[in-house]
Amino acid sequence: MNFFKNSNLAQAWLVLLLATVFGTALAGIQVKLSPVIEANKTRETMEKIPDLVLDTSMATQTATQDLIIQSRVIEIEKNGITKFYPVYDVQQKNGSLAGHVAKARGQGYADKIEVLIGLDAGGNTITGLFILDQKETPGLGNKIVEKTWRDQFINKLSDTPLIVVKSKTGQPNEIDGISGATISSRSVTGIVNTTIADIRPRLLPIPKTEETE
Amino acid sequence: MSDSNKILNTVKDSPIIHVAPSPHIRDIKTHTQRMMIDVLIALTPVVIVSVYLFRMYAVKQLLICIVTCLAAEILFVRMRGRSLTIKDCSAGVTGIILALSLPGSAPWFVGVIASVIAMGIGKIIFGGLGMNIFNPAMVGRAFVMIAFAGLMGAGSYENITGLVDAVSGATPLSALKFNNTPAIFTHLFWGNTNGSIGETSAFACLLGGLFLVFRKTASWQIPFSILLTVLFIAGITDLAAAASGMLIVHHMFGGALMFSAFFIATDPVTSPLTSKGKWIFGCGTGILIMIIRLFSGYPEGVMFAILIMNALTPLINRWTNPQPMGEA
Amino acid sequence: MTDQPTAFERFVQGILPENPVFRQLLGLCPTLAVTNGMKPALTMACSVAFVLLCANIVISLIRNLLKPHLRIVVFTLTIAAFVTIADRFLAAYFFQMSKTLGPYIPLIIVNCLIICRCEVCASKQSVFTAASDAMGQAIGFGLALSSIAAVREILGTGMFFGIRVLPENWPDWVIMVLPPGAFLTLGLLLGLVNWIELIKSRRAS
Repeated sequence: MNFFKNSNLAQAWLVLLLATVFGTALAGIQVKLSPVIEANKTRETMEKIPDLVLDTSMATQTATQDLIIQSRVIEIEKNGITKFYPVYDVQQKNGSLAGHVAKARGQGYADKIEVLIGLDAGGNTITGLFILDQKETPGLGNKIVEKTWRDQFINKLSDTPLIVVKSKTGQPNEIDGISGATISSRSVTGIVNTTIADIRPRLLPIPKTEETE
Repeated sequence: MSDSNKILNTVKDSPIIHVAPSPHIRDIKTHTQRMMIDVLIALTPVVIVSVYLFRMYAVKQLLICIVTCLAAEILFVRMRGRSLTIKDCSAGVTGIILALSLPGSAPWFVGVIASVIAMGIGKIIFGGLGMNIFNPAMVGRAFVMIAFAGLMGAGSYENITGLVDAVSGATPLSALKFNNTPAIFTHLFWGNTNGSIGETSAFACLLGGLFLVFRKTASWQIPFSILLTVLFIAGITDLAAAASGMLIVHHMFGGALMFSAFFIATDPVTSPLTSKGKWIFGCGTGILIMIIRLFSGYPEGVMFAILIMNALTPLINRWTNPQPMGEA
Repeated sequence: MTDQPTAFERFVQGILPENPVFRQLLGLCPTLAVTNGMKPALTMACSVAFVLLCANIVISLIRNLLKPHLRIVVFTLTIAAFVTIADRFLAAYFFQMSKTLGPYIPLIIVNCLIICRCEVCASKQSVFTAASDAMGQAIGFGLALSSIAAVREILGTGMFFGIRVLPENWPDWVIMVLPPGAFLTLGLLLGLVNWIELIKSRRAS
């Protein structure tokens, strides 16, 4: 009896009991809440997609459910490093391809910047840019989230790399840098350039979808 | 144990002990005052050039910083219930150095906040003159540099209209770093380029700095070792790039290097006491300046380099503490 | 036992006289990390309050079963369980806030304030005493966090709870919402609290 009382197992009965009770409770909570959390995560991306591939006037009319959004992952192997780009192919209800949205991340001034890039059906022009996540300097670098700055990217051709300039000279591939935040502006532009260069050849052909017509 | 205690005590007390050859007995008050007056004289050419170049911008910045620094000193010293230390001129010197390290276009509140922070957090919190770990003027400048990056950064230098056309452009270092456009050597040397109001003229800084060194108010080891280190690293970078000497000229004369090496890094309170320590301090500062200039997002790194080395000063003092004979 | 503070005294003690941040310097990691705005600061304060209260109650309930050499394991287990609940709850119903707070909610597990109260109070006192102690400490923690956050958000962004309180042309003191601002504000407020304490004790004597 004494031997049993002094064994490690008996000493730790309370710990084991609590671990079981808490474990069960947490499992229950996980089962209940994880669908909600997952939905939160996808909604964050999905909500932006109509804005990124359609004109603003059309985007307000078109709700997310009117579009067929298919996600896939494009895998690129470059210099021995494999990169993954989640890409969302957006189709209108009638089956015509509206465009693509790619999620990409890269190093900013302070931390990783995560962006969504909208491209038209052929992947030829940029249709929109959205900053999902950034931790740039407040008041300077974080101006990259402002719509006026992001909207510069719209209608840029994707075959020439974009460059950040201090004052525009009229070249079509110029992006106005944010004063005092040259690095943040360059980071975003760089992410856009690399992403487009990486995924553009892979956008077509689109994976087979069931015909809606 | 007693040994390390002794060293600790020496280090703790060191800021108020002026290490110099004998005679050791002198009135510390007049000594500080004499030093500060020397610094004021040495700063005169820099002030004259800055007022000549930036006109009202410089006058405004100088007035704001000096007045606020003096007012803050009086206020904080009162709060601590100490006797007034205005007469030693140190607050005035801090004010002038701070003003000279700000861009002319910075609005009035930048100077005011920088001065209050310099006096309050930079000096008084640590126990007043002689007890501060960091150079007060640089603490104030670092605060506003981070707080108002938009008003202090590269962009703020571009909307100023001074005497010379060249004054309304980017600073030489940021022009070189971000746009790859070099400036002319004579401009950099005499000072008709843009920058913080006191840093543009390498000539004025050298003139004042050499006076300080000649008067032995500032030790020669610190500015010399900083300049030497920067010259060395800039030389290597220059050789690796175009080897045109352009990079060397810019890094030596283009930024706050001359001004800071002579007037800020040599602050006797926040720099090491021994000759060996001063060499370590200077080389460290030079290396940090070049690391920040070459590899960071900032075009200029003198301020942060000096602050970092200030923090290391007690450690350097401890390393280089001379062993009394027989105790080694 | 007679000189032990009563439940009510413990509650009052926690708020100011033994404020966890300003007097005990406990839980400084969240204090520095999430006080750049009132909203994250209050969310953090509420999460800590929830975890502290639940942990204190559970520990107090099982206090007679605790073995001295295993008590820290039990404390950590209990705290971790409640922190996970809080974290999942925020991710499900306050998604943006949970993204803003990032790792700092899971890090409540190592918040020394909670384990300190479990050790000092809950493992020795009745459930009611432990609960009121937790409430007092949680309110004190919330008070400290919100006072720091108020200074930082107002100076740093000109806003309070995301609503503009200072004029439009207020120059934002960006440094205040960055990490150095947290250290400066905490230091100055600590100084202020000590100063007030000093004046009080001078008056008393």
